[in-house]
Amino acid sequence: MIEVVDLVKDYRAGDGSVVHAVDHISFTVAAGETVGLLGANGAGKTTTLRVLATLLKPTSGTARVAGYDVVADPVGVRRHLGYVSATTGVADRLTPREIFTSFGRLHGLDREATATRVERLLAGLDLTSCADRPAGRLSSGQRQRVSLGRALVHNPPALVLDEPTNALDVLGARDLLSMLGQLRGEGHAILISTHRLHEIEHRCDRFVIVHMGRIVATGTRDELVADGAGLEDAFFVAVSRRVF
Amino acid sequence: MAQDGHRVTGWSRWQAAGWVARRELLEFVRDRRTLVITLLLPMISYPILALSTTLGLRTGVMEAEARLAPTKVTVAVSGPDAQGFIARMRGMIDATEPADRKEWPAEAVFEEINAAVAQEVIDSGAADLWLHAERGMLAGLDSDRTVSVTVQSSTMRPPTNAVRGQFLALMESFIEDARRRRIENAGLPGTVLDPLALRLTGDQPRGELPVGEIMNTVAGGVLVLLAVLTMTGAFYPAIDAIAGEKERGTIETLLIAPCSAHEIVLGKFLAVFVITLATLAANVTSITATTAVSLRLLAGNAPQSLALTTASGIAITLIVFIGLAAVGAALCLAVTTAAKSGKEAQNTLTPVILLVSALAGAALLPGMQANRLLPAAPFVGHVLVSHAAFTAAESEEATSIAWPLFLSLGSSVAITWLLLRVTAVMLTDEDILFRGQDSAGPALARPSRRALPTLMQGAIPPIMGLAALWYAQAFMPKDLLVAIPAQQAATVLLPLVVLLWWQRVDLRQTFSLRWPGCGDGLSAGMGLAGGALLGAGVFVIGAAALLALRGDGLSPEAKGLSERLVGLILSQPWWLSWLLIAVLPAVCEELLFRGWTLAAFAGRQRTAGRVALAVLAQAFLFAVAHVLPERMPQTFALGAVLGWVTITTGSLLPAIVGHLVHNSMPLVVLFASDCPPDMVLDGGGGGLPGIDAAGIPTGAVLAAAASVIAGAVLIQAAARLR
Repeated sequence: MIEVVDLVKDYRAGDGSVVHAVDHISFTVAAGETVGLLGANGAGKTTTLRVLATLLKPTSGTARVAGYDVVADPVGVRRHLGYVSATTGVADRLTPREIFTSFGRLHGLDREATATRVERLLAGLDLTSCADRPAGRLSSGQRQRVSLGRALVHNPPALVLDEPTNALDVLGARDLLSMLGQLRGEGHAILISTHRLHEIEHRCDRFVIVHMGRIVATGTRDELVADGAGLEDAFFVAVSRRVF
Repeated sequence: MAQDGHRVTGWSRWQAAGWVARRELLEFVRDRRTLVITLLLPMISYPILALSTTLGLRTGVMEAEARLAPTKVTVAVSGPDAQGFIARMRGMIDATEPADRKEWPAEAVFEEINAAVAQEVIDSGAADLWLHAERGMLAGLDSDRTVSVTVQSSTMRPPTNAVRGQFLALMESFIEDARRRRIENAGLPGTVLDPLALRLTGDQPRGELPVGEIMNTVAGGVLVLLAVLTMTGAFYPAIDAIAGEKERGTIETLLIAPCSAHEIVLGKFLAVFVITLATLAANVTSITATTAVSLRLLAGNAPQSLALTTASGIAITLIVFIGLAAVGAALCLAVTTAAKSGKEAQNTLTPVILLVSALAGAALLPGMQANRLLPAAPFVGHVLVSHAAFTAAESEEATSIAWPLFLSLGSSVAITWLLLRVTAVMLTDEDILFRGQDSAGPALARPSRRALPTLMQGAIPPIMGLAALWYAQAFMPKDLLVAIPAQQAATVLLPLVVLLWWQRVDLRQTFSLRWPGCGDGLSAGMGLAGGALLGAGVFVIGAAALLALRGDGLSPEAKGLSERLVGLILSQPWWLSWLLIAVLPAVCEELLFRGWTLAAFAGRQRTAGRVALAVLAQAFLFAVAHVLPERMPQTFALGAVLGWVTITTGSLLPAIVGHLVHNSMPLVVLFASDCPPDMVLDGGGGGLPGIDAAGIPTGAVLAAAASVIAGAVLIQAAARLR
């Protein structure tokens, strides 16, 4: 469902030098699978996800979502992708219902389908009680659920989340991750990036560990973690080995 | 995975834009404080303006009426010749036809009194004025000398303006009578003093207050205010629409919706446009109501002469200002797209609003008329056409407004479309979209070294230069030998050097300091020759276009500059004039505009759209820096061409050569032709010394066009060799 092949993304820094934010990385996420993209700050996780969300153009390589290429058919990608990040805000003066409705219509759903979908999302995300309250008055957890609902309003087959639990407390993070588990069960392909490894250690089918723009380890938890150790230990080992 | 049975409706650009606009409007109408400020501001601005204007006008009208109303004037006359003076004055009064007694008092009483009690008489109010007729005064009147007479008034009971004015009018007639007597005594016919009997029909009768003219001037001021307040309607919505979304982190959610950047920008524009139109409607409503109140306050003081309330004037203003609202909304959106927060957007947009105010205000400058292509100019043209609509309505020449109106609307649509395209390019520009936060530091700490200046740093030196140009006027010497180097130093070099000290950059990259092409003799030669041909061609074509467009004549400022430049060329050795007029500006201005500013605007990630925008933006600043409106079209064209040359060749040198040749053309024309100095002094082509105001031969224009084409080909050829 999500396919990244030999992806490269370079930036020019202020002093004119070239920075390799993403350096020839490749991975896939199948339908009904959750993959954790792990890495320290500046490892290239957000850049990779922004390329998948068509917000950035790759320097070279390819990235596809549901078969649509991010460069050749960005609109096709957007129709099949939901994108959430910790920095993705919600419009403070709009209510969750209005936010879902406007994005449903933007995604081409008709009035009836949008209304049905919005009610289902409000109920599924436990937002019914605050559906008509301006988002600015919601808690951080509620706002993040609104953000997730906005990404799901068109029922995309692929979901990309960039550090979605950063602004949440323990309970909020657990609720959100539980919802992601449900979505995986419904057949969504989920790519989740985070550096809070303990939260997703037992919730992902596979992990891709990136460091300085390059993949340094990939595999299931069992493949990465040595006996008696945790994912965090595996991460340190992979990063210290530097390049895979 | 399936789409869960959801139907996807017919997908169109307008539907997407409509939903973006709806979302924006919903957000904006819930921001009540901003909404109130946007819509309430006009409701209080116009009444305050009208109150001060109307009260001032009313006071003026009342004073004028009081001054002009015939009144009784009593003059106490003392001295040995008092009797003779009074008799002569009465004789003059009796002999004057009523029709010729212009502004005289209703009744003039001259009474002889003793000089010893004269002061007491005027202090008591028994007489308004005291005139002392010395011995020999009457004889002096009929001689050929000048008689001095002092008329005194009381400091305790000063006479009214009406008494003073009407007494003076009476004395003017007395003096005229004495003048005619002298002519007759000299044996000359009375008509010797009347070589020409001129009568101007339809003239405003002297003494009547020109209320219509005053109100037309007020209308101009109101239209400028309307333009500025309409722009303020776009101010907050535009900031909120893109910069606000970036600050809240919601812009990415829109950008990953299945629609293009153009549709998003169109939707946001529609929302900002609607709010701007609402502001315009509130303004026009307030103006109309305020005008009605003002007319009532003016009571019967010539309200019939006011053209302000004409339905056609208001209707045309509304139509023209819809265009202004569109341009304003698009401009505000474009300017704020580069900002990453609401605060930064406010900082960027505030000077733009000031610039718009200046442009709108320029419509009130003497000589500005809604003719030729001027109505197409944004903001200036909008105010000009609206102002002309009131004048045309008054003089029943409404049909004359059709072409300016069409031009204004057409240009508004074109400019809006262009600005929206620019906004869409900037919205998805990775450099702008994911620009990091500015690092905080001590106020005077220099930022770290960069390859190129930032976008904002690119605009700062030209703006500093404009400010320096204004302030330097007070100290700038008249002599161009000193003024030109001083101006270049103060307005170009100093801001550039300050910014260069502040922001250390890679000089080679920023100023494109390399040979054009691959650096060999052939490609360098082609690049430099191309620049020279373009400079010469643009000069001639620009001058020809200016002659065709400039309307009825040059502004006094443009004509004065032209005269001074020609004076310099004719009075100094050619090499010194060439150094001052051509070499110095070419080097200094190219380093600033095609070097520093263009590099900053084009940035590091050079997409075609961003480069085009950078070339146009620096050309705009280059044109504005030349201040005189007549010069701006030509300087904009030159700036755009030289910007393209610099980007294409990767070198600043062809642009310097092009600028050098362009500025050398007046000298070439002056020295190569038989053009007499007095002819070029009589207003050169568009303020360009050396160009005959009568026009440029078609052959010269065709040769210039060929020069431009050849230059462009050479530049492209040089670029291919890079």
